[in-house]
Amino acid sequence: MSGVTGQGPRTDLLAAVEQVRALAAKHAEETDEAARFPVAVLDELRTTGLLGLLVPAEYGGLGGGLDELLDITMELGRADMSVAMIFSMHCQQVAGVVHHAGPRLAGELLPLVAAGRMYLASVTTEAGKGGHLLTATAGLTAEDDGLDIDRFAPIVTGGEYADGFLITMRSPEARSAGDVSLVYAHRDQLTITPSGDWNPLGMRASHSTALRLTGRIPEHQVVGEHGQFRTVVLNTFGPLAHLGWAASWLGTASGALSRVLRLLRSPDGRKGANLDSELLMTRLSRSRQRLETVHALMRHTAEVVTRVRAEGDDLSRPRYQMLINSLKITASEECHRAVEDLIDAVGLRHGYLKGSPTGLERALRDLRSAALNYSNDRLHLADGKLALLDAEVRFA
Amino acid sequence: MDARFTELLTPYLPYLGDRELTADTPLREYGLDSMQAIELMLSVEDTYGVELPDEQLTEETFSTAGKLWDALSGQLGGQGSDTAPAADAV
Ligand SMILES: Cc1cc2nc3c(=O)[nH]c(=O)nc-3n(C[C@H](O)[C@H](O)[C@H](O)COP(=O)(O)OP(=O)(O)OC[C@H]3O[C@@H](n4cnc5c(N)ncnc54)[C@H](O)[C@@H]3O)c2cc1C
Repeated sequence: MSGVTGQGPRTDLLAAVEQVRALAAKHAEETDEAARFPVAVLDELRTTGLLGLLVPAEYGGLGGGLDELLDITMELGRADMSVAMIFSMHCQQVAGVVHHAGPRLAGELLPLVAAGRMYLASVTTEAGKGGHLLTATAGLTAEDDGLDIDRFAPIVTGGEYADGFLITMRSPEARSAGDVSLVYAHRDQLTITPSGDWNPLGMRASHSTALRLTGRIPEHQVVGEHGQFRTVVLNTFGPLAHLGWAASWLGTASGALSRVLRLLRSPDGRKGANLDSELLMTRLSRSRQRLETVHALMRHTAEVVTRVRAEGDDLSRPRYQMLINSLKITASEECHRAVEDLIDAVGLRHGYLKGSPTGLERALRDLRSAALNYSNDRLHLADGKLALLDAEVRFA
Repeated sequence: MDARFTELLTPYLPYLGDRELTADTPLREYGLDSMQAIELMLSVEDTYGVELPDEQLTEETFSTAGKLWDALSGQLGGQGSDTAPAADAV
């Protein structure tokens, strides 16, 4: 990634980000209510060039790095967590292509992403194996003129609106379920059959429906080598997913805290709330403290990932993987709890009812998905094993 | 790789079948998962009486039989995957 940590925000992108954030804020209530994908916001991400944030400049992209990804995702999360997740998960897919695709596929895809004509969706979850990322059940079939895909995808964010998909499947010559390949498929190369409707508790605007995907792709659309999805996860998908999710959740919780503080400082708010209350102060403090923790951990993780890459060190080392996983677990818990603190702080009317300008009700429903979105239980299992590998307990 | 090493490693590779275990044998493809990788590491350490340092515990080390042997023999006193047998280390 070409961006360098510590350069500060890219001022040239501020106007574009504000445009998208404002539109996301405008549509958030309605897309949540209707569980509808925010098509207008995606269009704005396309025309502003932000879909190409992580595309290197030589392909016509913005050449952004991790810091820009986090800054922008947090801004969008302040308005709508679904939009932030749509954006950051797309960027994660783009980073997968940048770092792992062969030159031919990169040359075909990245200019389209930079031009705003390619929104990428992710297909890793599979019925039966649940969230177990590093295994696959459905297999690719090798044919003379390419690879056959036949894959049921139970939950695909923006799947009905994506221009292309990165899909995990068992390799054609797989010996075990862990022999997983990542492949790219263009919308035109697939028959896409939506199945079931989307009516969840939160993240309603992410429109993460179930799809059946069938089609044939040429061999060069394997991202990385056959069977090497694990490498993509350890070096790119894992860090980018956890950083991007943490930024989405932190943005959402920060937006919630900000709206509560504005309410409390307003003349009406001061009438309704007792700013002398020690309990209220303590709850505000706790909420802020949780966000400070997540923010510090997120920035530290980004700095470590950037440094490890720049130095050519190996992100698979236990201490790096444990840091990346701890970020996800901590962010998912603390951002959700911060909003719960706020609900207790302001009470029923502004904490629990739809239609309050604080938006706490929607933020809480959306943030409830954080622990499930790649199960914290699974990550704890992984980190327990990794902890055993680092008996000296060294920190990154 | 010495006989003790291949004997120790083989039970962790359920998909190896009748194939011969060589330095190039990919461990994950033949069924070594992450939990077993830890058991394997501990049993290697017990058998050879060494401790694999933190620096060696990367994906690369557990990628093939030869890479794991190299990491181990580094601790035993520097023989590579094509030099056998191992030092009498216990
Ligand atoms: C809003 C949202 C958007 C998403 N978008 C996408 C997307 O675009 N593409 C995609 O592929 N996926 C997507 N996902 C799916 C996500 O990545 C996870 O795969 C999914 O949330 C895991 O679902 P699960 O809880 O059923 O699965 P599991 O992880 O299988 O968990 C099921 C249950 O088993 C428990 N459990 C976990 N591990 C173990 C174990 N080893 N032993 C015993 N029990 C265990 C868990 O705690 C949980 O209670 C999305 C999810 C959400 C919430």
